[in-house]
This record gives sequence, structure tokens and C-alpha cells, in this order.
Amino acid sequence: METQVIIPDIDPISVPAPIWLLKILLLLTFTLHILAMNVAVGGGLIAAVTEFLGKKNNSQNHFELSRSISKMLPPFTAFTITLGVAPLLFLQVLYGNFFYTSTILIAWPWLSIIVIFILAYYGYYLYSFRWEKLEGKRFVVVLISALLLAVIGLIYTQNIVLMLTPEKWKEIYFNNPHGTSLNLSDPTVIPRYLHFMVAALAVAGLVVIMWGIKKIKINESLGKWGIRYGILWFIVPTLLNIIIGLWFLISLPKNFIMLFMGENIYATVYFMIALLAMFVSLILMFVALNSAKPLAKIIIGKVFLLLTIVMMVLMRHELREAYLQPYLNWDKVQVEPQWGVITIFIILLLAGIVTVIWMLKKSFGQKSNVDPVELS
Amino acid sequence: MNYPFWDIPFIGGGILIGFVAILHTFVSQFAIGGGLFLVLTEIKAYKENNLGIIDYLKIHSRFFILVTLVFGALTGVGIWFTIGLVTPTATSALIHIFVWGWAIEWIFFFIEIAAAMIYYNTWNKVSRKVHLSIGWIYFIAAWMSLFVINGILSFMLTPGEWIQDRSFWSGFFNPTMLPSLVMRSAVSIALAGLYALLTSSNLKDDNLRKLMIKYSAKWLIIPFFILPLGGLWYVSVIPDMSFDIISGGAPAVTLFAVASLFFSFLIFAFAYFLPYRHPERFPVALSVLFLLIGLTVTAVSEWVREAIRKPYIIYDYMYSNNVLKSEKDIVTNNGVLASAKWVNIDIKTETDTMKIGETVFKLQCQSCHTVEGYNGIKILVKGWQESFINEQLQHLNQLKGFMPPFMGSETERKALAKWLYELNKSYKEIGVKE
Repeated sequence: METQVIIPDIDPISVPAPIWLLKILLLLTFTLHILAMNVAVGGGLIAAVTEFLGKKNNSQNHFELSRSISKMLPPFTAFTITLGVAPLLFLQVLYGNFFYTSTILIAWPWLSIIVIFILAYYGYYLYSFRWEKLEGKRFVVVLISALLLAVIGLIYTQNIVLMLTPEKWKEIYFNNPHGTSLNLSDPTVIPRYLHFMVAALAVAGLVVIMWGIKKIKINESLGKWGIRYGILWFIVPTLLNIIIGLWFLISLPKNFIMLFMGENIYATVYFMIALLAMFVSLILMFVALNSAKPLAKIIIGKVFLLLTIVMMVLMRHELREAYLQPYLNWDKVQVEPQWGVITIFIILLLAGIVTVIWMLKKSFGQKSNVDPVELS
Repeated sequence: MNYPFWDIPFIGGGILIGFVAILHTFVSQFAIGGGLFLVLTEIKAYKENNLGIIDYLKIHSRFFILVTLVFGALTGVGIWFTIGLVTPTATSALIHIFVWGWAIEWIFFFIEIAAAMIYYNTWNKVSRKVHLSIGWIYFIAAWMSLFVINGILSFMLTPGEWIQDRSFWSGFFNPTMLPSLVMRSAVSIALAGLYALLTSSNLKDDNLRKLMIKYSAKWLIIPFFILPLGGLWYVSVIPDMSFDIISGGAPAVTLFAVASLFFSFLIFAFAYFLPYRHPERFPVALSVLFLLIGLTVTAVSEWVREAIRKPYIIYDYMYSNNVLKSEKDIVTNNGVLASAKWVNIDIKTETDTMKIGETVFKLQCQSCHTVEGYNGIKILVKGWQESFINEQLQHLNQLKGFMPPFMGSETERKALAKWLYELNKSYKEIGVKE
């Protein structure tokens, strides 16, 4: 009785879609969410460092970059939220009985995400809208906002790990039913979290590189500086993340480490591809650092990084399934697909993507065609 | 009882959901009506060739995105977080029935957010026609997200045919779906006017301020004629029990329903006599007061909407305390302790009646009652004898129609009665002992 693990029953209402479809949507939207989050969090941290360096060295290049990043932070924060809602939805229908339980155990920290997020988001808007006026305070504003967002990541990681470890629930809950617990004692939480956050810096570094490429046409020296600066932001965190990744791997229970070492063919293949793709992108970026024409190398490097990220997401999924394997039997989950509504969803999704692309095209494409005094 | 119960002393989970939901509703319904306000006002500016209005709209749209994109979007996620924590069983049921509804709403949410940012950032940068199109896209997407979420929300009060056929469409197009949609749409328009009064009363230019205040007030007056009709329609299709609750069955609810009507009327009457008739005398402070009354209306109306759903959380399917209607007899026969998963006592060997009583309270009552705070049980049973409590517990659903019947064994019921009785007694005794 005392050591028994309590797992809430799965919902008596059947799942309204094939499990594979929900899993694909979960992983797809999660990948997109992570990319947006990387720019929102990593971009904010890079902006803070850049503000600091700009002030210290009185460097106009740094300020040009930080001003551009300030314009990107609010929209990417918005995308982080919208793209985050979808995976959370699919997660709940697939793993709801695990997710709700772990969330209740850390209810207050979890709920505090909303408040922290509102503060951070307004901080980003302040940084963006008042970039000129803030002057010396810019560093503090963007740093605090980015760190607040980073705290949210830590709460998320704790919950996502806690939902995979039902063995711990009973003790946590019966010691404290008020939802003020944390899950920091799990040895995998910190390395897992850092693995995400440091990767965010690297991906945001790519955005800096793209900014440099764009600037090169207007101001060559600024553009070249931007590309170099961005590449460094990619390389240093990526090297660091090899160590953190290793730390994360060895922090896992031994049977899960073995999954990636040949025991599970999928997990092992994903891991191999991820490592390979990561090294290719690193090498390409190193070469690009001192290359006269870095564009092609950068683009190929980015494709390989994207491949790394997709593989990492798949590895993470295999790990989750392994954690839950003793408690979750997919064959026992009742499925009754609502094909009619699913069809409508897919049609609306395509229409939605077309609509957003149309709006973006109009807003970026027509800038110079319209006379600004049209209204007067 | 499938999930651990999140124990929030004094305020209870219901208040927490209410708090987040009210803030969200107040902003998100503005996000819908405000979208229509932006486009129609932009059209008005072009028609009258009034550049001042465009300048106003630039300021108003900045305010609009800061309020809706940040606060509106995140409190929306906040409700979702909160219901998952407080009523996981019901949230899980809704997600299982309507995951594709939510997925569709997410598409509109995504379009809405993108369109709002693009609309704000493209003043004077794209042609008028394109800018208006983006505004329309925003409004349509925002209203469609209301359309979808309203179907799911209204389902909880009137699941309609879904109870029998378990079909997505029966649940979505349920009896209160349309009247509720009409009411929420009308409220959105009124909220657009309320918020616009705030930004327009802040304008420096006297003529423009007068013009915009009068214009914004009109947005408040139109819904005044739609809301009562929507309300009557709504009341005519809600379950009988809900009607009884509003019309005197639970005095607090009746009071709140009347307050909702009264404050709505107050807003519309004020809107006519102050900003509409005398736009020159309408300071910012008054617009803030208007907003506060608007928030009050939202609060009491949403509270009434939640209250009339009792004794269910999903009508005819799941009771307020997360027990399925179909499981009622099983829980009664097997006992609530044996049916619940998160119980910290060994039901076979436990002999401490007080401990059993407290656990039964947690499982059966605490979804709605706190011990000493909101809807506090201690004060409710004050002065009651143990045998009287035991008697009441046997007829809960008959004595108070908005409460679910007690589900549990006789031993459990008696233990609960004892524990409830001791709540008021123990204080005195402790006092004596010390």
C-alpha cells in the first residue's frame, strides 16, 4: 500500500483522433514553439549582453543590433505563446492523467508562469517601444525580461519531468497538498533545462547572422560584424551544450541511457543523426567565420541545425515514452476519431497559413510602394 | 477523485477560476468588439477624410495590442491552467470531447495575434484597402475564436443531445450556444465602446475628443437593445433547475443576477446622458469609473453563469465535485474512500472517525466549500447538532437543489457529520483546556 504508485485513470471519453496523428501534431507544434522560444529568450539574453558590450565599448554596431533585436522580441514572444498553446493541448489529450497530476503538485509555481510571463512580455514591449528613450536602462529592462522568461522554462522543465515520474507523486502530495512543491531535486531537471536554454542562445545567434546578412547590402562593415558576432553566439553555446548534453545524458537512469546506445533502434538513430548534424553545422560555421563568402555555408549550416533540433525533439519523445512505458499502454486507449472535425481543422489550418502569409507578404512587400503621405 | 485535490485554504479553487476568468473575459471580449471598432472607425475616418481620427486610431491600436496581445492572451492561457488545476476531471472531459474544437480555435487565435501585430505595424505602410483587409481579418478571426470557445463553454450548462449520442456536433451546437453567442457578441461591442471612451477622453485636441467620445458612447448604446433579447432567449433555454436558482432558489445568485442587470442598465443610461449628450464634459476619471462598472458587470454575470450550472460542472454528466453522474451509485455503494485514488489513510484499518470525516470532506465537499473562507463550511453548520447534520447530509440534493447528493457509505456520512460538528465545538474545547 505504502509504495504503490497512484496513476489516475485515463478519461472514460475516448480520444477523438488516432494517437499517431496527435503525436505528430504534438511534436510538430512543439518544435515550432521551441524555435520561437529560442528567439524570444535567447534573443533577449543576447540583446542584454549586446547592450552591455555596446555601452562598455561605446560601439555603434552593438546598438544597431540591439535595436533590431528589440523589434523582434515582442512578435517572437507572441509566437512562443501561440505556438505553445497547441502542443499543450495535444499533450493534455495524450498524457492528461500524468500531466494534470504533476501540475497539481506544483500548482502555484505553475500558475505563477502567467504573472511572470505578463511582466516579461510588458518588459519586452517597453524595451521595444521605448528603445531610444530608455537609453542607459535598456540593459536592465531587457535582461530582467529575458531572465523572467528563462524562469518560466525552469518551471516547465520541472513539470514535464515530474509528469514522467509518478513514483514521486504520492510522497510529494501527501506531504504538501497545497501545490507549492518544486521538482528541483530530480537530478535530470537542471541539465535538461540548461540544455534547452543554451540551445536558445545558439539558435538566436543564427538570427543575428541573418540580420548581418541583411545589413551587408546597406552597410558592409556592420553586416560583416553582425555575421561574425552571430557566428560566435552560435559556436560558443553549441560547444558548451555538448558538455551539458553529456551531463543530461548521464543524469538519466541507466536503462534510459542505454536506449540511445543501441537498445532502442529509433532513439539510437535519432541520437546519431543529431550528433552528426550538429558537428556538420558547427564545422560549417567555423569555416564561415573566416570565409569571404560565408552565405552558402551558413545556410547549409542552418539546415543541419534544424535537423539537429528535430532529432532532439524526437529523442525527447522516445525518452518520454520510455519513462511512461510501465504506466501507459496505448493499446488500451480507446480511440474514436472525429474525422469530420479533423477535416475541417486541416482545411482551416491551411487557410490560416495562407492568410498569415498573405498578410506578411503585404506588410513586408509593399512598404516602399505606398506613399507615406497618401493620407494627407 | 481520480486526481489529487489541490487544497487552497480560505479562497478555494472556484474563486481562483472566477478571478482569472473574469479578468480574461473583460479583456478578451474587448479584443473582439475592439477589432470591429478599429475597422469601422478607420472606414469612418476615410469616408469623412478626417486625419485626426486616424491619429487617434494609431494611439488606440497601440493600447489595443498592449492590452489584448499580452494581458488578454496570457490570461486566456491562465484560465486553461487554472481549470486544469482545480477541476482536472472536467477539463480532461472537455479536452477529450472538444480537442478539435480547441485546435480550430487555436488556428483563429494564431491568425488573430498575427493580424493584430501586422495591423498595428502597417499604419501608413500599406494601402488603405490592404490595411482595412488586415483589420477585417483580425476581427473575423477574433470573433470566430469566440464562436468556437462559446460552443464549448455553453456545452457545460446545456450539453443537450450529447448526453445521449456523444457527438461533437450535438455538444457544440447545444441549446444555449446561440443565445450565449448573441449575448457575448453584444457585450464585446459594448466593451469596445467602454475602452474607446478611455482612450478618447485622453485626447488633447478638443474637437477630436468630443467627436470620439460621442462616437464611442454610441457603441455602448446599441448593445443595450440586443442584450435583453439575448438574455431572455438564454433564460428560456437553460435547465429548469438553473432558472429556479436565478429566480430565488439561491438568494446570493438572484442578487448577483439582479446586480448584473442593474449595473448594465447603469452603464447604458450613463452612456446616453453623459458622454453621448455631453461629450465635452467627460473626463478620463469618469471613463475609468465606467470601465470599473463594466468589470463589475462582467464579474457578476460570469459568476451567475457559473452558479446556475450547479449541482453539475458538466450538466447531467459530472457533478460539481468531479464525480460522474453515472458513477454516483457505485461511489455510494462502495464508499467514497474506496472510490478515491488520493487517500492517505488505510480504509480497512483506520478507526479515527475524525480523520475519516476530514478526508470525506476533502473528497466530497471541498470543490465548492472551504473550511473557514469562501463558502466556508464551519459557519454554515454553526449551531447544528451532529444528528441534524447527519440528517441534512442524507437529503442534500432535496434540501438544496444546487448541491449534489452526498455519495458515500453510512460510516463515511456519520464520520463527516461528526467532523463537521466538531469544527465549531473544538474551538470552545481548546479554549477550556488551555
